[in-house]
Amino acid sequence: MSSLISYYPGNTMFHRLDPRVKIIFMLMFCTAVLLINDIGIAAMFFAVVVALWFSARLPVKLFWSFMKVLLPIAAFLFVIQAIFYPGETPLIKPLIPIGKGIGQVTLEGILFSVLLTLRLMAMIIMLPLISFTTPVQNFALGMVKIGLPYTLAYTMTTALNLVPLLQTETQVIVDAQKLRAMQTFEKGKLGEKLRAYPALVTPLVIGSMRRAQLMAVAMDSRAFGATKKRTYMEDITMDAVDWIFLAATIIFSIGIVYLSVKL
Amino acid sequence: MGENGAGKSTLCQMTNGIIPNSIGGKLAGKVLVHGLDTQEAGISVLATKVGIVLEDPETQLFASSVLSEVAFGPENLSIPPAEIQERVAWALETVRLKGYEDRLPTSLSGGQKQRLAIAANIAMRPDILVLDEATSQLDPVGVEEVLSVARELNQKYGMTVIMATDASEMIARHMDRVVVLNEGRLVADGTPREIFSNLNLFKKIMIRSPQVSQLAGRMQDEGRPFTSFPITVEEGKQVIIQMVGNGHPGSTGSKQPERYTIDAPTSILVDNLDYIYQPLNVHAVKGVSFEIKKGEFVALIGQNGSGKTTILKNLLGLLRPTSGKVLVAGKDTNVTAVAEMAQHVGFVLQNPDQQLFAQTVAEEVSYGPKNLGVSPEVIEERIEKALQVVGLEGRLDEFPPAMPKGDRAKVVIASALALDPEIIILDEPTTGQDYRGCHQIMQIAKAMHEQGRTVLFVTHHMALVAEYARRVIVLSGGKVILDDVTEAVFSKREVVRQAYIIPPQITELGQALPPELGLPRTPLTVETICQAVLQKALETHPQPEFGRN
Repeated sequence: MSSLISYYPGNTMFHRLDPRVKIIFMLMFCTAVLLINDIGIAAMFFAVVVALWFSARLPVKLFWSFMKVLLPIAAFLFVIQAIFYPGETPLIKPLIPIGKGIGQVTLEGILFSVLLTLRLMAMIIMLPLISFTTPVQNFALGMVKIGLPYTLAYTMTTALNLVPLLQTETQVIVDAQKLRAMQTFEKGKLGEKLRAYPALVTPLVIGSMRRAQLMAVAMDSRAFGATKKRTYMEDITMDAVDWIFLAATIIFSIGIVYLSVKL
Repeated sequence: MGENGAGKSTLCQMTNGIIPNSIGGKLAGKVLVHGLDTQEAGISVLATKVGIVLEDPETQLFASSVLSEVAFGPENLSIPPAEIQERVAWALETVRLKGYEDRLPTSLSGGQKQRLAIAANIAMRPDILVLDEATSQLDPVGVEEVLSVARELNQKYGMTVIMATDASEMIARHMDRVVVLNEGRLVADGTPREIFSNLNLFKKIMIRSPQVSQLAGRMQDEGRPFTSFPITVEEGKQVIIQMVGNGHPGSTGSKQPERYTIDAPTSILVDNLDYIYQPLNVHAVKGVSFEIKKGEFVALIGQNGSGKTTILKNLLGLLRPTSGKVLVAGKDTNVTAVAEMAQHVGFVLQNPDQQLFAQTVAEEVSYGPKNLGVSPEVIEERIEKALQVVGLEGRLDEFPPAMPKGDRAKVVIASALALDPEIIILDEPTTGQDYRGCHQIMQIAKAMHEQGRTVLFVTHHMALVAEYARRVIVLSGGKVILDDVTEAVFSKREVVRQAYIIPPQITELGQALPPELGLPRTPLTVETICQAVLQKALETHPQPEFGRN
């Protein structure tokens, strides 16, 4: 999915938020989500992400296309957990008695499933919310300002930029091999499929290595890494909204962690 | 100038210290740029002296917006932000990409990408701009765009521009000085006229002089002297007039080319093809119809974005028509699996590296027939035949990725040929190849044609179209605007220009001549006009140096 890392321009509060704040927000949010055990709080977290999605005025279509992928997975996990969670308040008797407590849908099982699903959904739709509202170069800048060496930050973001290119390349290679009568990509036995892979992977790897070498020449030619401290044309600065958002994130997350550890 | 592998790129990358500072190697001697030894001066210092634009538009752009691409260099040099902004604005203005600031570099056209690469370099304010084969992967419009920017940088800002290129007509028109390399050695250095009039040089090494100069060379060989050696169309015209006089009024030149008909079964039939790319709703092909008979040799030409690739993909069954019909070798591509099409159509990709994967040439070439379940004995026979056609006999055990570029292309052609298809489609097979490579590939295409196969090729290389194709289909804006014998197509100057196609120099020369000279109006090769001029010259000045032989 190349769309996972594309930037959707906008001028909402969330768009304008300092990338550093977004990175911290993302990290703290995910940690907190992993720690909570309360359905109410999980629902709130989920609601917060959804609210942010809509406040960022990202295309509604995009949201639904994510949901389309996510919901079946969530539903599957929901059912599995509901069936296998050992609980005490039976709701539905197992159709086939397998063993003690297994296969029995209990109230606890349902509640746990709801919690798990909410946590998962909140985390997963959090990531595109960040990437859709932040240009990649700002993300790199944010990482540098947090303290990462800029060569590392740039290497990471450059790799991200290459994803769509690699996808196009893969398509060209698949087409080329199909025209050499390779028919075993979509269908065919596993063994046949595995045999088809070198024809795809080898050109992709060799091509990527060539590309990486050439790209290194281009980057070096433009003085990449020439000075320890480089400048940035568009600097990022924290304004009042950023500080408030950051403070809220920190207080909120610490509160949640504190409560969940205590409980 | 020089063949692939003559040392052009290596030399280019020495000018800014990439060699040997980033890419290792043994270096003897010194490279001085503005008195700085490139081995001692740091990359950051050299980057402010020399900017370099590479051949592949894709690999030198890595930022996520046009703006940040251009800012990247100055930022690395720790320039204050306010000045970076100024420089970026200037650079984008100079390469005419103002207004594209927020665009994704990958979404630009080839010409735009190379101009962006220029902007990214000149934002570091170098005095020297090196273009290493920077135009060789572009279509004619892209080439013009890059050239005009380079020219402006040279004339307006006094920047030194160094181009590594084989495009001799371009050199003749724009450059002040030519350095010729061969097998890593400098073999000639002079003005374009000095270089191109050095006929011995071009007999020794496989590079090409402008067609007008080739013509002049032929005249000299035939003992027809002239006062000044021509390198451009205008100069060529003067030489010819000098040689054959002003002609007779009323004479209209040679006859109109005839439409040729071929009596053979249909090989490819495209009927009212429409193709719309979803989800962006791009109408790439609009009501295209043509028929290609078995055994034809056809060129498909047109600007990037004119619909060539979309049509090819429809022929191969990789895309299904939005409406209309495509029959290839009698198969309706709409309902035929791609793998089945592969038995009838051999496809040669522009970039061989996108399909080479095997450890040996033999394994590579046998991949297709093996997939089709051809018996080992027949496969062996086909490998042998295919390698013979492409001139790689006895090189069965070589490792394809390590072979030179020209040979890699040949392995790919052999792979297509091993499927024994009745139709061969080549998509820009000569891109990035030097003069020798181009002609070798076209000779192979010709050989496949002579075996009775239908050959369709896409190219931006008009001299090759003129020399090899019998029929040309011209696309523009998703429509067929011309479909005729090659000579007839190039004779329709205005229509061809509309499709941004620039005919070969020798054809332009023919068209620039006064019609009353009675010479071919649309010569396709140097030899055509050479013979005609010699004959006329004999009529007007009965052999000035007769008896010299």
